[in-house]
Amino acid sequence: MKLTRREFMVGCSAAIAAMAGGRIGNLVFAQDSAAAAQRDILVVVFLRGGCDSLNLIAPTSDVNYVAARSSLRVTETEGLDLKNPVQATAGFKFHPAAGGLKELYDGNALAIIHACGLTNGTRSHFDAMDYIERGTPDNKNTPTGWITRMLTRMAPEGLIPAFASGSSVPDSLLNSTYAIAVGQNVQDFALRNSPSRYAERQTQILKQLYQQGDLPLHQSGLATLEAIETVQNKLPRDSEGKVIDYEPEPDAEYTEGGLSDALRRIAQIIKLDIGLQVATVDFGGWDTHDSQDRVFPDRVEELSRSLNAFYDDLAAHHGRLTVVVMSEFGRRLKENRNGGTDHGHGGLLMVLGGNVQGGRMHGTWPGLANEQLDRGVDLTVATDFRTVLSEIAIRRMATPYLSEIFPGFNNYQPLEVVTGTDLPIE
Amino acid sequence: MTRKNAVPASGIRRRALLQGTGAAALTAAVAALRPSETPLAAQEGTTQVYLPLIHAGGTGTSSAPVEVVALNRMAYGPRSGDIARVREMGFPAYVEEQLNPTGDDPVADQRIADARLKLKIDDVTYERPLSSLTMSAAELWALKELSYGESTHPANEVRAATWIRAVYSRWQLREVLVEFWHNHFNVNANAYREVAMTFPLYDRIMRRHCLGNFRAFLKAVAQSVAMLYYLNNLVSRDGPANENYARELFELHGLGAEHYINDLYDNFNDVPRDDQDRPVGYIDWDVYEAARAFTGWTIANGRSIGNGADLPDTGEFTYVDSWHDNALKIVLGEFFSPNQPPLADGRRVLDLVAAHPGTARHVCYKLCRRLVADNPPEALVNAAVQTWLANLDADNQIQQTVQTILLSDAFRTTWGRKVKRPFEVAVAFLRATNADFTYGNLGWSFNSTGYQHFSWPTPTGHPDTMEYWLSTGTLLGTWRFIQTLPESWLEAAAIDLEGEMPAEVRTSRQMVNFWIARLLGRSMAANSYTLLLDHMRAAIDADDPPLSPDEPPDGFGDEAEWRQNAYRDRLKSLVFLICLSPDFMLR
Repeated sequence: MKLTRREFMVGCSAAIAAMAGGRIGNLVFAQDSAAAAQRDILVVVFLRGGCDSLNLIAPTSDVNYVAARSSLRVTETEGLDLKNPVQATAGFKFHPAAGGLKELYDGNALAIIHACGLTNGTRSHFDAMDYIERGTPDNKNTPTGWITRMLTRMAPEGLIPAFASGSSVPDSLLNSTYAIAVGQNVQDFALRNSPSRYAERQTQILKQLYQQGDLPLHQSGLATLEAIETVQNKLPRDSEGKVIDYEPEPDAEYTEGGLSDALRRIAQIIKLDIGLQVATVDFGGWDTHDSQDRVFPDRVEELSRSLNAFYDDLAAHHGRLTVVVMSEFGRRLKENRNGGTDHGHGGLLMVLGGNVQGGRMHGTWPGLANEQLDRGVDLTVATDFRTVLSEIAIRRMATPYLSEIFPGFNNYQPLEVVTGTDLPIE
Repeated sequence: MTRKNAVPASGIRRRALLQGTGAAALTAAVAALRPSETPLAAQEGTTQVYLPLIHAGGTGTSSAPVEVVALNRMAYGPRSGDIARVREMGFPAYVEEQLNPTGDDPVADQRIADARLKLKIDDVTYERPLSSLTMSAAELWALKELSYGESTHPANEVRAATWIRAVYSRWQLREVLVEFWHNHFNVNANAYREVAMTFPLYDRIMRRHCLGNFRAFLKAVAQSVAMLYYLNNLVSRDGPANENYARELFELHGLGAEHYINDLYDNFNDVPRDDQDRPVGYIDWDVYEAARAFTGWTIANGRSIGNGADLPDTGEFTYVDSWHDNALKIVLGEFFSPNQPPLADGRRVLDLVAAHPGTARHVCYKLCRRLVADNPPEALVNAAVQTWLANLDADNQIQQTVQTILLSDAFRTTWGRKVKRPFEVAVAFLRATNADFTYGNLGWSFNSTGYQHFSWPTPTGHPDTMEYWLSTGTLLGTWRFIQTLPESWLEAAAIDLEGEMPAEVRTSRQMVNFWIARLLGRSMAANSYTLLLDHMRAAIDADDPPLSPDEPPDGFGDEAEWRQNAYRDRLKSLVFLICLSPDFMLR
């Protein structure tokens, strides 16, 4: 009989404790549970396609920006004011459709790190995503994601520690046995009730069929069936046993669209209190090679309003919530002939949460003059994305294991984006 | 609704099935037999005996007869009678047959001709035949005068036809390869109206070249409406060129990301050369330069080309000389002299990419991964590369390469090192149950499995390794979709499980044996077998003791209708369980 993950974890803990000797073992576990109690719930929103960061948080007064972009720019008059910019003369403003982000920023919940990204010079989506999500900018074939390795160190014992809100698990959770993906309503997270007479027995037999082997297929099938059981047992039901639809907090105004749906599912799971530690969301549509002005404002608005609603929905959980918004790269400074922008280099990263030093831009601004650009065409990466993620891993997730999470990243210096304890780095 | 007459009659044969000994004794008896030596089905017309139905050990521990391997990799799973047919004709003859498809495909053609697809225009729902499949390029282009929903409908018709062919075509290998190439040259039909509108043309390119010559294939793709729109080369012109197509030509269609060595070299002069003086990989400079070579390759879509001139609005591939960057270019180490004749620069890039050994390795690796295993043996990939490179100019370059792969030892000996993707699971279920499949309202409901037919959002196409498809959302989505397929509201598939079973199949054990043989064509682990048998022989009233496995199951042939319904539900549940089991998911 195969052990469930939970049994396996418990077994391991006991074995390690026995090997290490009682005193050390107890010490380790005492420390770990203290750390676990402090850990945030981390939500990573990935903007797939390469978000045009220069048009989201725009240096509206920069002469090079104005010169390079005849149509695809935020003007000084249209842009929404942004306090505490990283450089006063650049005239940083929010895109006009980013009102929801501005509100979070003005409330000091949102921090912006501009000119942030991947130091590897690739302009390929797939390479850039592979490098970033695996957390190894020199190796895109690393078999695990950065969150996978962080979770391994956390060894969470909750029932659903990692949740991908979408039809599949992203590469940042590559090969993680903790991760599950849900793309439909949380209520529908079950086998269909067909044939209804034998539905329950059928699920039980299927579970046993997946116990008859130890291929990855068996492990994944079993993990899926166990997750189903967990979620179904937790969902609130009415007196007839019917699942009650999820109701967000009254002031959380989600929008139509995939991002709001995905974030709403995460809020629901957080409130079910089943041990969630990390959630991921993919939000696509940022690869704007042509007619950018037709799609970009809608994307920005959906991002902005959805995050705003999500934050309102989880008002009771802000003290344990850290949300990261990132993309594989920014886009070229100069717009192309088709009213679009091609793949660039430096992008931006945003962090939202109750322990974020928000309402300000962090890091440095490299400028947009020709000699300040990467390869003469793109925004330079002034802040390595690993700097911010490491700070969150250490201070918010109590996992200071940088040599595992971001191997080869040796010059970590916190930017003071979040508050928290600086545990000794390992 | 029944249209079973259109299906080859091989599905309905009388069978006597192995009568039970004890499960343990049977395990011992069959453990000594290697599957390849075991007669799965004796000759037609005589008693057929299925062996072995169970094996010791877990699901992943047994191999499969070569017929089962072939029908799960060169086809979308066996239909009734297929395993016996391949065994009879011999595996090499089956490979030979499948490598030489013809236009003779009466069952699939009739099913497509009979298919009706719903389309809503101004709140009125029409049921229309798949007429765009045979429209000319000009007829398809003319659809752009219609509403968005109507003009983009051809992509839905290709989706429907693709399902029907996968279920019914006798040229299964062609369908498998067409799916492969659609993913290799992925375009998202939802990205632009023009892509969806002309999608039948793109599908025809995949069908025409799927076993042909790769250089000719690349050219057809490069000049297609779908690719020119999807990767933006349509609008690429001098100063600066749009790099999107050129980037993916190298990274996905040709040499592959494994030959992108920009992190090592930033000047083409530094890139090492092979023994024929070709650079061993590509860098960003190659992408930039190739993008310049394709400037001016576009579609005649009525757009202005300056100086008051407009392109004609025909939807045909065309070249705009005034958009072309005529200056010197350097691609993969070769100098392209300035001021070349129309199209010459782009064609030369295609020549270089198609002939590059990196492309051979990238594409052959992907073919091996599709047809054999997630991590195909190095020797197999090398053999495929050798065939590929020896036939660069052959009209049947791809056919020969696929033949090398299929006839390799590795093909036979790698069972279970891959899992079926949701499309394969669903089609295999429909084929094995002999469903009367009409597509119906299937449409977008399939996307919940994670398989997004012709609308995968990135140019990579669907992932082809199990890590992706074993995610919880995908597995559960697939299971739920299989359970949904026979539901009447979907109007997609009618399945008559009782009608599939010959009259002699009466006991619980016979039924379990019949469906394992039909759905899997290979043995199941003894414990799994027992679980299914216990389910089938359980009494309707859970408090009553189970019936003997060699008696008819409870409710079978009973006069009380509710008892019969309970039996039918258990039978349906048995089939679901086998199709949702790990045994069915392996490939």
